[in-house]
Amino acid sequence: MTAPTRRSAVAGSADGRPGGLRGPWFARRRPRRGPAGSVLERVAVVVALVMVVLAVVGPWIAPQNPYRVDLGQSLLPPSAAHLFGTDVNGRDVFSRVLTGARETLLATVIVLVVATVLGVLIGTAAALGGRVVDEVLMRICDIGLSLPSIVLALGLAASLGPSLTSAVVAMCLTWWPGYARLVRTVVRQHRDAEYVEAARSIGAGPVRVVVRHLLPTVVPVMLVQVTLDVAAVMLVISGLSFVGVGAQVPAAEWGAMIAAAVDDISTAWWALLFPGLAIAVTAVAFNLAGDWLRVRTDPTVRWSR
Amino acid sequence: MLAVVLRRLGLMVLVFAGLVVIAFLMTQVLPGDPARAAAGRNASPEQIAAVASQLGLDQPVWRQFLRYAGRLLHGDLGTSVVTHRPVLADLGEVLPVSLELVLAAMLLNLVIGVPLGVLAAYRRGRWADGLTRVVVLLGAAVPAFWLGLILQLVLSDRLHWLPLSGRLTYGYRVDDLTGMVTFDALVTGRWATFGNALAHLVLPAVTLAAPFIAVVARTVRSSMISVLDADFVQLARATGAGEWRVVVRHALRNALGPIITIVGMQLGWMLGATVLVESTFNRGGIGAYTVNAVLQNDLYAVIGSVLAIGVVFIVANVVVDLLQPALDPRLRGGGRAVSGLSVGGRPDLAVGPAGVTDPSAPDVEAGADNAAAAPVPVAGVQR
Repeated sequence: MTAPTRRSAVAGSADGRPGGLRGPWFARRRPRRGPAGSVLERVAVVVALVMVVLAVVGPWIAPQNPYRVDLGQSLLPPSAAHLFGTDVNGRDVFSRVLTGARETLLATVIVLVVATVLGVLIGTAAALGGRVVDEVLMRICDIGLSLPSIVLALGLAASLGPSLTSAVVAMCLTWWPGYARLVRTVVRQHRDAEYVEAARSIGAGPVRVVVRHLLPTVVPVMLVQVTLDVAAVMLVISGLSFVGVGAQVPAAEWGAMIAAAVDDISTAWWALLFPGLAIAVTAVAFNLAGDWLRVRTDPTVRWSR
Repeated sequence: MLAVVLRRLGLMVLVFAGLVVIAFLMTQVLPGDPARAAAGRNASPEQIAAVASQLGLDQPVWRQFLRYAGRLLHGDLGTSVVTHRPVLADLGEVLPVSLELVLAAMLLNLVIGVPLGVLAAYRRGRWADGLTRVVVLLGAAVPAFWLGLILQLVLSDRLHWLPLSGRLTYGYRVDDLTGMVTFDALVTGRWATFGNALAHLVLPAVTLAAPFIAVVARTVRSSMISVLDADFVQLARATGAGEWRVVVRHALRNALGPIITIVGMQLGWMLGATVLVESTFNRGGIGAYTVNAVLQNDLYAVIGSVLAIGVVFIVANVVVDLLQPALDPRLRGGGRAVSGLSVGGRPDLAVGPAGVTDPSAPDVEAGADNAAAAPVPVAGVQR
């Protein structure tokens, strides 16, 4: 088939509207999807993927050692040798930002994975475990959600001792209640559905029902939420580092880098600007990617037609 | 209705009790030795032991907790080992400072966020919608602490438009009534002081509000979209009501439910977010107080400030929950099961005609109010 037809199929499924393109190819237009359009979203998905790749290879492609102190090179403005300039200790900011991709994103991913596992386990248990279990688990969630997570994580991270590990552990412990609620809601919506009844009636055991029939309904919803939460978790983690209870100063973590650059803010803006930009760009990319995923996978969108 | 209120209040107490336990346990694993911190740098081991037994730190954890809880019931939050003052007194001093900031940020939040959301929904797909989307994207992505620093750098350090930090330039006088400088100056008619305090308030308020504006604009937009397509709005138009009236009186009023829920939660979140903003602007306040307490192992101050923020958060949520039926007749009658505290959004209270969300538009935000997505705290903000 010719290219325009293929494109039409893609565009049709992208917004879930079949037959979005009509007429001869030269008169065809993509259906309007708002001024930001899908191009931006595709770029964002690519940027998000690039960030993930950077998190893996960042430390190896960094042009200079991100931890090498050279006081003779202190606070140099951006130049060809130092794309993002140097910080107060003469370390190359560009190399540190690249290395920081791993520190910050890895921490974020660990938090999200652990919180997802906890949330799925606890949410499923609450949805299927009967009234008492449900009540107890949901009240625990209420308590967890009764504080802004930054405050809870701040207290927990402090009690574990200031380090990136504590910040990650603290965030794992604070982030799951939201997921538990989400999973509970979705599983409850489906637990009495006819297809689940049918599975039970032909002899599927409880484990099989949960794994094969209920958890798959959770996946698209959680996938979208987790993608959207990359930015949120990253902001809290770097915030904890900025405040001083997360990654500690020599670490090439974006939040800690900003904290370390505060003192020289009026003479060396670059040491402050670039780590923050790195956070912002990554966060925008993941939020857009999440939006994009939501449109593609959200069952409420898909089922409604 | 009364039963609903009582149950909600009961749950509130329960959640608060749980919070006390968690806040207390959290500080039990503190790596530093609070007794050492209290006794001072040069204390001998005997002195430290004496201080420890004086503070009750040599007792088992459950006993310490009972002791703490017993005192808490009498309004005693313990003594800060850093300021050597009762934590309650410290909190009484720092809370108004933060409240002033939070209220200013909330005002900005509503004044900017709501119109942006309404405009974006009304002119969906046009430039206003695009602008809103940019604001939403940036607000949810730019770290507040970094934004604050950048604003300081550009607007204070380089352009000298606004003061760098603090709450008042030295030399301005204010009569201390509430601890909120702008309010006190306004009430007592000290206009110069008021202007100065307001100038100090702008940058931190903008910084604090930025991520929240994004959430409000997004919520208002999706809520308005679901309502603007509803039949009753068409009907209102058909009766010849002006567009302004249709949008504000008919649509916005019916879209208020999710908006109020979000704004109520934001009050608590904002108070929490001061942790990231206040130190930068050297304003004092509960955020800076909490951070200091945490960094200095100030046990009771940590518990106290966590509890204080928690209380504001919980109360704001309960107030919003109880306010909803008053503002929306559809929720009256107590027919809806109340299964939990509305902390984090309630699917069964999510207002707005269910299923009106325009399915033809690939509206990414619209899902936020659907039952499936509702229980998750809104993405993109330090929740």
